[in-house]
Amino acid sequence: MTAQNKIDFATAKSELAAIAGKSGALVSGVASAGAFDDAPEGYRPADILPHAKSVLVVGGAQPRAGDWQSPNYQHMEVTTTSDRMQTLALKMARFIEDRFSYYAVAVPAGVDRGQQPFMSISMAADLAGCGSKSLAGPVLHPEFGFMYYGAIITTMPLPADKPLDPPACPAPECVRMYEAEGTTPCLNTCPAKAGGCLDGRIEDGRFTERQYDATRCATRVQNYWVPGFQKVLGATLQEPDAEKQKMMLFSSMFSRTLWSMTYSNVAQGQCAECMRVCPVGYEYRTKN
Amino acid sequence: MHASETESRTQQIKQFALDAGGDVVGIANPRDWDEHVPEGHRPYDILPGAKSVVVVGSRGPTAGAWRSPNHRVMEVNGYDFRNDAAIHRVADMIESDFDHLAIQAPGLPTGGHLPPMSMMLSAVLAGLGTRSLAANIILNPKYGLLYYSACITTLEFDYDGMLEQDVCPHHMCVESYRRFGKTPCMAACPSDNGGCLDGAIDDDGRIEYSYYDRERCVSRAMNFGINSFQKSLAQIVAEEDSERQSTMIHSDFFSRSCSAITNYKESVAQCFECMRVCPIGRTERKLQ
Repeated sequence: MTAQNKIDFATAKSELAAIAGKSGALVSGVASAGAFDDAPEGYRPADILPHAKSVLVVGGAQPRAGDWQSPNYQHMEVTTTSDRMQTLALKMARFIEDRFSYYAVAVPAGVDRGQQPFMSISMAADLAGCGSKSLAGPVLHPEFGFMYYGAIITTMPLPADKPLDPPACPAPECVRMYEAEGTTPCLNTCPAKAGGCLDGRIEDGRFTERQYDATRCATRVQNYWVPGFQKVLGATLQEPDAEKQKMMLFSSMFSRTLWSMTYSNVAQGQCAECMRVCPVGYEYRTKN
Repeated sequence: MHASETESRTQQIKQFALDAGGDVVGIANPRDWDEHVPEGHRPYDILPGAKSVVVVGSRGPTAGAWRSPNHRVMEVNGYDFRNDAAIHRVADMIESDFDHLAIQAPGLPTGGHLPPMSMMLSAVLAGLGTRSLAANIILNPKYGLLYYSACITTLEFDYDGMLEQDVCPHHMCVESYRRFGKTPCMAACPSDNGGCLDGAIDDDGRIEYSYYDRERCVSRAMNFGINSFQKSLAQIVAEEDSERQSTMIHSDFFSRSCSAITNYKESVAQCFECMRVCPIGRTERKLQ
């Protein structure tokens, strides 16, 4: 345990980055706990850990190039690795407490009451300069593109990073495409005006408007898992024909929803088409 | 020569277990189970020829998590399975480096609420802690609440033996009991006032008797998880109004119950109040 009055916080930040990198993170960064003004009250770092000073963000564990190349789209539905960053966040929180003697808590992944997250990990990644918001929704790292993030709130006053400038999205290719065609690859692959989830506007090389239909997206991204289970359960219970009800209970759809719930790797996302066409991080999604 | 070899590999496996993520490690003699459990629940019933049981304990919530005013943070993030991960590495190491059989001891319920092998008893027999007035939780003298996993192996190690001194009650609790008739944990959750705990401390400062209402505790410690899922499902199936049934299926409560099943971390425990007031291990939770 390090005596606090001897800690060089810049050195400590480098040490944390090295540990995170060695443990599988591709990026890490720090946001000031006071920078979350845009988050509603109750969802800021100090609401989770009193006297919070910093939010350490780790990112990585994105699908491999081979995953993106598989012609079987169901492959990526059942092999996602997002849990790795949450596991790393728990490890980093413990490391901060044991090594530096400051309080630390990993932000729980997923959602809680009212399907709201405990704290926006996307916002933390954005503020920590680990990536920036995109037209497609996910926070994109300028080099690696789409990845998963974990966040650790701590009372340790680490030097804060700044949001990326310029942001990772829109990429120059997307700006050119928008100027020529009025759309980008992600908007084009899932257009809100034609039954999709995305819309937006680019002005002076930056996106100035963004529309994301989260409800519609959820019906596609989470075909299985809790929302799928609730849907199929309701339909099954309301089926008056006993024989048909039995068939529904043993159907592939019902079985898959249970598989996805008990083996939660399936839970994270079952549509990645907006990311598939994104030029940011494209080189990491292609190999020989 | 034989004794020194056993001592040497005992030290080796213990250090390995600590490096693998354990906070404490102890080793018990499989024959010590004989006087405590019925046939079928002893280590050598599960792995014939068992010579040792290696037990690893890991801390659950970080000190920061204990301080969070949002109780749901610890409910979701309280447990990170480090003890399970560590015990698997221990078993791997025994089989690969020592060429002896090694398995993880099965600690989850298989009949009613009973596991094939008790991790609580394993921790006690390996000298890692003793039973407490607080829901019989095994308290380690340094850390207090820990989560335990065990490895049964045919390899012989040196045994630790049980702790000679009870960890609970702490001398502060003895004093509290003599003045007020209750310890902090009993005061936090008194069975005579809707809670789960009762007990008495004798003239020697030891537990005279303890009472723990497990059924009542389960209804509080597992608000979300398998139990709440079963409870909700029974109500949903019994609901005759199809509109109301649909509302129940898509309710926040049922959604969170489903989510708790998919994220097993969440289903372990959702009430820590008897441990929050426990003086044992408090210094380990006191940071800056």
